[in-house]
Amino acid sequence: MKVRFENVSFTYDTRTALKNVSCEFDSGRTILVVGHNGSGKSTFLKLMNGILKPTVGRITLGETITDGKRTSELARLCALSFQNPDDQLFAQTVKKELRFGIDNIGRGDGLFDSIVDTLHLAEHLKSNPYSLMYALRRLVTIGGSAAMGTPILALDEPTAGLSLREKKYLGTLLAFLKARGTTVVMVTHDLNFLLPYADDMLLLSHGEAQFSGERDRLFAGKDARDLMRRAGIGYPAYARISSALDLELPAFSAEEIVECLKKKRAGTTRRTNGRHQLEGA
Amino acid sequence: MKIVSLTEFSLSYTKDSPPALNGINFDLNSRESVVVSGLSGSGKSTLCLAIAGLTETFPAMTFKGVIRRSDGANGERARVGIVLQNFYSQITYLRSTVMEEIAFSCENLGLPRQETVRRVSEAIDMVRIGHLADRSPLELSGGEKQKVVLAAAIAGKPDLLVLDEPLSQLDPESTAYLGGVLTELKREMALLIAENDPYFILKVADRLVVLSEGKIVADGPPEEAITRSSVAYLDLPAWTMCVAKADEEGITRENRQAPPYELNYRKAISALKGPN
Ligand SMILES: Nc1ncnc2c1ncn2[C@@H]1O[C@H](COP(=O)(O)OP(=O)(O)OP(=O)(O)O)[C@@H](O)[C@H]1O
Ligand SMILES: [Mg+2]
Repeated sequence: MKVRFENVSFTYDTRTALKNVSCEFDSGRTILVVGHNGSGKSTFLKLMNGILKPTVGRITLGETITDGKRTSELARLCALSFQNPDDQLFAQTVKKELRFGIDNIGRGDGLFDSIVDTLHLAEHLKSNPYSLMYALRRLVTIGGSAAMGTPILALDEPTAGLSLREKKYLGTLLAFLKARGTTVVMVTHDLNFLLPYADDMLLLSHGEAQFSGERDRLFAGKDARDLMRRAGIGYPAYARISSALDLELPAFSAEEIVECLKKKRAGTTRRTNGRHQLEGA
Repeated sequence: MKIVSLTEFSLSYTKDSPPALNGINFDLNSRESVVVSGLSGSGKSTLCLAIAGLTETFPAMTFKGVIRRSDGANGERARVGIVLQNFYSQITYLRSTVMEEIAFSCENLGLPRQETVRRVSEAIDMVRIGHLADRSPLELSGGEKQKVVLAAAIAGKPDLLVLDEPLSQLDPESTAYLGGVLTELKREMALLIAENDPYFILKVADRLVVLSEGKIVADGPPEEAITRSSVAYLDLPAWTMCVAKADEEGITRENRQAPPYELNYRKAISALKGPN
């Protein structure tokens, strides 16, 4: 489902957290929202999901203009997994937490098993989510939101507190959601892990959108490095390596870089699409 | 001087659960910065809690072995400060501003007001949250809250500062900057940090301890410990991953003396540049 912000501003009491943000993302895309601490990323997700209402401007999800709609109605379009898992957990067992969407919203049939599988949660279904270690609590909240089966899924810092192993599970979930056509919007500082999955980017700085659009268009721009540095997120390590190796365009993972090097040596410089390799892996 | 020393230390959260720490032998010296890495569930947070003396609060916990805490300079117990993985729970919200929230940690130590004021402004500068000083702690973003909790721990000037994934919500610029701050801090206090970020480890750690299933599988200078542990436990820098992949595909420079992991950025780039 499509996401569209038109001149959206949001003010908490007196503090303006988003200023005149306009952006548009097509259905089925994977979008990364990046920016410095306090730049307005979480606020953006909460507006999309409807917990917060724009002070000014208009948000459209698919064909639905969110203005005047109830939060519960909007939650059927966009589920949100919170930055702090403990703000989200509410059920007595992992199973209940994961089934909430299916039982109450009536969406996402058949999703439960796939999500339990993908996130390796089967052995924890009977546990109290609060008794689990941090990484698992995060996986449970991500799984719970994904199991709502909404056409748009918003994840706030999905890799924070995850180690390599759970990040791989998350990667599999992202590939699965991509195949289902879900629009996934993620706030993250973990560009090294998530950039290979991204189609589009939204770059926020002090509440303003510095860039929105295709990931590859951001990185092809001459000012990409400057733009990202000024936004407090630095230039991602794989992109830096790509330019040190004189690759024509930045690559975003070790696999992509090695692939580009091979092509370059074979005399061609066309780059490969990292996602397909990842999905195949 | 040793601050904490663990001998054959094992700990289970309940009588029936497998040990979260299993036969740990570990000494932590003053002014040393030790980073603990490993997959989640490997025991990083438990080690942090045990060393900070907080595991006693788990009613069903059982342990074996010895944990010895040395005395501080004047014969007092070494003082420990901690930032928990779930740092949100550490903000008291008893105070209306960030500055007062941080001051609270000093007041609990019984410091005179003047000293408190001095330490609070020092910690605020160090963590670069001057712009938040007069804000309400209730109305901050996730990363802003994490910085406030870190500043409060620093203001307490403990002999040992324990940080459980202190960077989890920070933007890359803050991560790089605070890595430098922690490197400075180890002149004043010992640091025990649970963290998997390889860039941070290489910058800040004097010593890296790698845990797997409650056991120490490597302990030493970071390069050595990384080389000795399996890549399955550790995140490695982007350039290291590239060289490993290129080695696998046989496209690195031919005369490369292949170490298991190339951790040096310049050497990695030159290895990747290949034959010509
Ligand atoms: N409840 C609130 N009341 C007032 N101001 C708030 C509130 N929550 C956040 N803010 C402020 O709004 C701005 C944007 O916050 P937001 O949480 O969206 O940032 P963020 O980009 O998600 O940051 P982080 O990376 O630290 O999570 C910040 O200046 C923050 O201090
Ligand atoms: Mg946030």
